[in-house]
Amino acid sequence: MTWLDFPLFSMSIIGLWIIGFIFLGISYKKEQFIKWSFAFFSIGWFVLIYFIKDLWIELDRPPMRTLGETRLWYATFLPLVGFLTYFRWKFKWFLAYSMGMAGMFLVINYLNPETYSKTLMPALQSPWFIPHVLVYLFSYAVLAASSFVAIKGFIGIRKQKFDIATIQLADNLVYIGFAFLTLGLLFGALWAKEAWGHYWTWDPKEVWAFLTWMGYLIYIHYRYFHPQKNKQALTILALAFVVLIVCWFGVNYLPVAQASVHTYTQT
Amino acid sequence: MKPDREKRMLWENPWGYTESFIIGIGLLLTGFALEMFVGRQSAFELVFPYNLYIFLGFNLILVILYKWFSKNQIVRWLLKVPASITSIVLVTFMVLLMGIFPQINSTNALVNTLGLNHITTHWAFLLIIIFFLTCLGLVTIKRIAQLKWKNFGFVLNHLGLYLALFAGIVGSGDLQRLSLDTYEGSPSIHALDMNNQKVELPFAIYLKDFKIEEYNPKLALVDNEKGELVHNNGKNLYLIDSGKVYNFEEYHVRILKFLESSGRIENGYAFVNEQGSPPSAEIEVINTKTKDTVKGWISSGSFRHPFESLKIDAKYSMVMTIPEAKKFSSDISILNIDGSRIETTLEVNKPYSYKGYKLYQLSYDDAMGKWSTLSVIELVRDPWLPVIYTGVFMMIAGAVYMFWMGNKFKKETK
Ligand code: HEM
Repeated sequence: MTWLDFPLFSMSIIGLWIIGFIFLGISYKKEQFIKWSFAFFSIGWFVLIYFIKDLWIELDRPPMRTLGETRLWYATFLPLVGFLTYFRWKFKWFLAYSMGMAGMFLVINYLNPETYSKTLMPALQSPWFIPHVLVYLFSYAVLAASSFVAIKGFIGIRKQKFDIATIQLADNLVYIGFAFLTLGLLFGALWAKEAWGHYWTWDPKEVWAFLTWMGYLIYIHYRYFHPQKNKQALTILALAFVVLIVCWFGVNYLPVAQASVHTYTQT
Repeated sequence: MKPDREKRMLWENPWGYTESFIIGIGLLLTGFALEMFVGRQSAFELVFPYNLYIFLGFNLILVILYKWFSKNQIVRWLLKVPASITSIVLVTFMVLLMGIFPQINSTNALVNTLGLNHITTHWAFLLIIIFFLTCLGLVTIKRIAQLKWKNFGFVLNHLGLYLALFAGIVGSGDLQRLSLDTYEGSPSIHALDMNNQKVELPFAIYLKDFKIEEYNPKLALVDNEKGELVHNNGKNLYLIDSGKVYNFEEYHVRILKFLESSGRIENGYAFVNEQGSPPSAEIEVINTKTKDTVKGWISSGSFRHPFESLKIDAKYSMVMTIPEAKKFSSDISILNIDGSRIETTLEVNKPYSYKGYKLYQLSYDDAMGKWSTLSVIELVRDPWLPVIYTGVFMMIAGAVYMFWMGNKFKKETK
């Protein structure tokens, strides 16, 4: 099995997942269809695993050297975390998000055959690299969702129709998202230790990741101590999301970014 | 949890956010004043055994405070969320400064006076971190002392963070990072520390062989006038290999032959395997608009030989980039004074632990590329790592717990 077989495989997987999506959509109306959705998602997932297994045997090394190869792993683990979260918390949108992201990585690989061989510098070839990126993808998704919930809460307060369930949902999302964020931070530290000899160097990206983490930490503690002050809590949540956005997109534009190890400019 | 109470005078029991922020800002200002009038402190560079005394002493003080002084106004305040949130906000503020001002030498007088470019060794940062650790430590002790299973997740998170952070800070003085240049065929024993001081190692390292595996070089289009790479619509550059066919804008490129290691001959390149023989490729470029065809050789060159590009028309040339490293590693022997030796291989992301040191493959002579006979090895000694990792893995467990439990707790106790 080689990359030459990939178009066939990826298209079959995507096809299966699309059917899964359709059933997931129907399940909002008729709950029993969720089973069909799971079935199609899982079959697609097993096809993917099969492809990776054969690719691994063919290459005679773990397929983790190129960007295309790492995308395969993202596509593999995203559904796993999506399902785990679904079984624990029953968030259908989150399952859809993870399957959608996984599908997107397959499509990127399909559309850019030349990136199959795009090179990955040795420092990135670490077993911590994929979990590090993955848990961040999840955490950002869940925390972004918590911000949408916060907006709903603000509107509720404005219209004096605030529903306590709204902020409880926001809480739950923040707890889940914060757990992923912590894992992302710590996996990053463990990886840095293996690759660069030190777990934390206050690199600009690390600084902003830390600030994001602290922002949500404030929210969690504020909520715990002042369960009644909804408006203030929602404001903290909104601010924390602003920091997250800076961390995600903005760091490269800040004056501090000159010497960051996290900006991989490819020539 | 306390419902919001009626009006209370400042400094009247229990202290809330106002008092917390007054105290916190006081610490901050004290820190800045010390920075300006006393100058740099070296508390973060405490070395063994003093840092161990500080670590144990601080923990002891917190236990004593909790055990015998928990009725005290200040201790009660420190145990509550307002103090904690204040300390978290202040740490966030200091780190924010770090995220705004580059932490390098500055020409700005104000930045220098206020010490904004070295926050991690700033007095204010030190004071606030102490405040932060005090809050965190006390509340952790409180929950541990309750001995309840429902505090399991709480203790994992708070104690984990406490250990990782505290050990990381006091341990940084014992952190030793040395870099050692080793050359193929000779033993090395003198490394340089972070301040470029010579340090003699308790063992010698003999570099047997330094190896690089490279990716194939890439193909790129260069603007003849500007001499710059032309961005191929944001796509990546293509790896060169025999038989590959690529399209750049209106050019259709075929790679007829690729030689990994070659030398220039009369009208092209031929396989040669010597020091510094660069890769080369014979390519054919067809302009799909004008149907012009150009055929010729390109080579990335090496430290020995010049590179060669192929001019395909008035505007553009084709070039071969210098191959990037896929993997580099050093076969080394570690030689001990007692004559024993250990053979191992160092690779990026695969360090080797020996006698309290971790040995990392750091770099090599870039200019020489795969013919480098120099391998730079980094040696890191961090005796506090076990404590830090205990904290880190507790936090990982705590995060998993948090994911699984969500904020269920709160709903139950409400
Ligand atoms: C890993 C980071 C942290 C996490 C995940 C975390 C999580 C939590 C959670 C979930 C609670 C609610 C209590 C419960 O559910 O039992 C809580 C309470 C609390 N946390 Fe944290 N926290 C963290 C860091 C901190 C820090 C840095 C401080 C202080 C500087 C702190 C101080 C407190 C305090 C004072 C309480 C109230 C405890 C009580 O009243 O008994 N936490 N924390």
